[in-house]
Amino acid sequence: MSGKRIRLLMWKEFLQLRRDPLLIRLILLMPVMQLVLFGYVVAADVKNLPTAIVDLDRTSVSRTIGQSFSASDYFKVVAHPASDADLRELIDTGKVAVAVVIEEGTTDRLARGQSAPLGIVVDGSDSSSATAGSGYASQIVASINKQRLTESGMGARLAQAPGLDARVRVLYNPTLASLNTMIPGLVAVILMISLMVVLSQAVVRERESGTLEQMFVTPIQRTEYLIGKVAPYLLLAIAQLMLVAIVGLLWFKVPFHGAPLVALTGVALFMLSAIGLGLLVSLISSTRQQAQQAVLFLMLPFMVLSGFIFPISSMPDAIKPVTYAIPLRYALDVLRGAAVKGAGFADLAVPLLALSGFGIVIFTGAVIATRRKLS
Amino acid sequence: MSQIAVRTEALTKTFGEFRAVDSVSLEVAKGEVFGFLGPNGSGKTTTIRMLTGSLLPDAGRALVLGEDIAVNAALIRRRIGYMSQKFSLFEDLTVEENLRFYAGVYDLDGATYSERREYVVEMADLRGREKELTGNLSTGLKQRLALGAATMHEPDLLFLDEPTSGVDPVARRKFWDLLYELSGKGVTLFVTTHYMEEASNCSRLAFMYAGKVIAEGTPRGIRRDLQTRLGLEREPSMEDVFVELVQAQR
Repeated sequence: MSGKRIRLLMWKEFLQLRRDPLLIRLILLMPVMQLVLFGYVVAADVKNLPTAIVDLDRTSVSRTIGQSFSASDYFKVVAHPASDADLRELIDTGKVAVAVVIEEGTTDRLARGQSAPLGIVVDGSDSSSATAGSGYASQIVASINKQRLTESGMGARLAQAPGLDARVRVLYNPTLASLNTMIPGLVAVILMISLMVVLSQAVVRERESGTLEQMFVTPIQRTEYLIGKVAPYLLLAIAQLMLVAIVGLLWFKVPFHGAPLVALTGVALFMLSAIGLGLLVSLISSTRQQAQQAVLFLMLPFMVLSGFIFPISSMPDAIKPVTYAIPLRYALDVLRGAAVKGAGFADLAVPLLALSGFGIVIFTGAVIATRRKLS
Repeated sequence: MSQIAVRTEALTKTFGEFRAVDSVSLEVAKGEVFGFLGPNGSGKTTTIRMLTGSLLPDAGRALVLGEDIAVNAALIRRRIGYMSQKFSLFEDLTVEENLRFYAGVYDLDGATYSERREYVVEMADLRGREKELTGNLSTGLKQRLALGAATMHEPDLLFLDEPTSGVDPVARRKFWDLLYELSGKGVTLFVTTHYMEEASNCSRLAFMYAGKVIAEGTPRGIRRDLQTRLGLEREPSMEDVFVELVQAQR
């Protein structure tokens, strides 16, 4: 193996990259576009949920409950319907996504030391608003209870104390649910897309044009070619990754609670899978269009089944086992775990081992298959 | 050193059920312009791919410049040049970048590179167009540049797989002038073509059909052979020979 020839191949690759205005634009624009899409559009839908307060109790206590909701950023009280029937119409027409129903007699029950049900109605047709809405509502209810109990001097027995019962629980990151998990996940997704798409195209293009054949009657060895091909795109992927990480941390102010080394280990292991898949795609495709289709074919189940957009916990039981076969799932576990929960190597041993397994098998398989195919 | 550039002994390659190259034995002397003829799919390209070390034979043996292709392919690759039917330089690199790339691949030093670059630019008629993207050149110019790139490292043996397909007759004539020039410098040329008038340019020929060599000799010799065999009044053209040979096999 000659370092000189590898450098030569990389130099050539960068020159070609510079001459491919579409590709370079794609590479630079993609992280930016995805950050905006996932950072603002997908994550932003959880603020200012149009909310209706149905106050059937009409006491000062019930008004306080209503105000707690309108004071929060997450709910925007847009209506005060007088009855359940009026509420139904508001939800049906989509004017309201969340409703808080304070039953008649709530104040009395609380005064008697009983627990009082608080109706929280969410529009299930918009699942993300529904999840976020019920999550925030439960938080607000909890804080109302806490405040009420503190005032009555019962703070110590908080957990057992009766009060408003909203019965909705959300674990971890209940405030800005989407953004804080979306951006760490985005790091893995961008890495996957750019490595797979670009790498699969790059090898196929060379086969299509015949330059591959030409290179292999020269002293260039298969391994040199592979390294010279992969390295430039790996560097680009790392640059994209850093861009996303920096924007995520500084602009979107996504907290990172864990050790960077944990996240980087996960990323490095995941890269092996992404590179391997890119090479495999380039192997089974004989034209650039085929490679493109093959990548799309792989990408959709990856995005949907990894838990990047839809939580795995809410998938049907029949689908759940399939998600174990998606390397991206484990990359998300590691990145989100490290960023959101501050998880360390021990906590993330399972996904990290899964990533190593996938990485080693896919990457080695791809390299062996590519070397064989190239000869 | 032996005077043989290429020698194959019962060289065979099978793809599944298909015998692409069937027990081919050839000998090409140094300095020859060896024409390798045959219809599409007759096994010409597969033979070349084995001789350049891109493909391993299933049976038989081949020596290229005295080295066994199954053992010393890496050594052979440094000393041969290859130019394929497809224009295979990087179209999105400039003329100069392509030349620099291939010079680097063969590890030419700076002085040798400048000297070879001058030669190739002159030979390919690309003076003043060194900074142009290769993709913008005409087919004829591309072909000559590809020849230049394939000879950057001054190979002893040059494989040309249908080098002139798709090139107009004038450019083709010019291209053959360049080949003769190389031949004059002692480079052995191993050329496949299906332009029969080009076959007459070669010093020796082999006809391939269905993976086998069905005739071999000088262009003159092959024509005369046929003339005597068929009792013709005139010497047949190369085209007639080709048709006759192929039909005799069917």
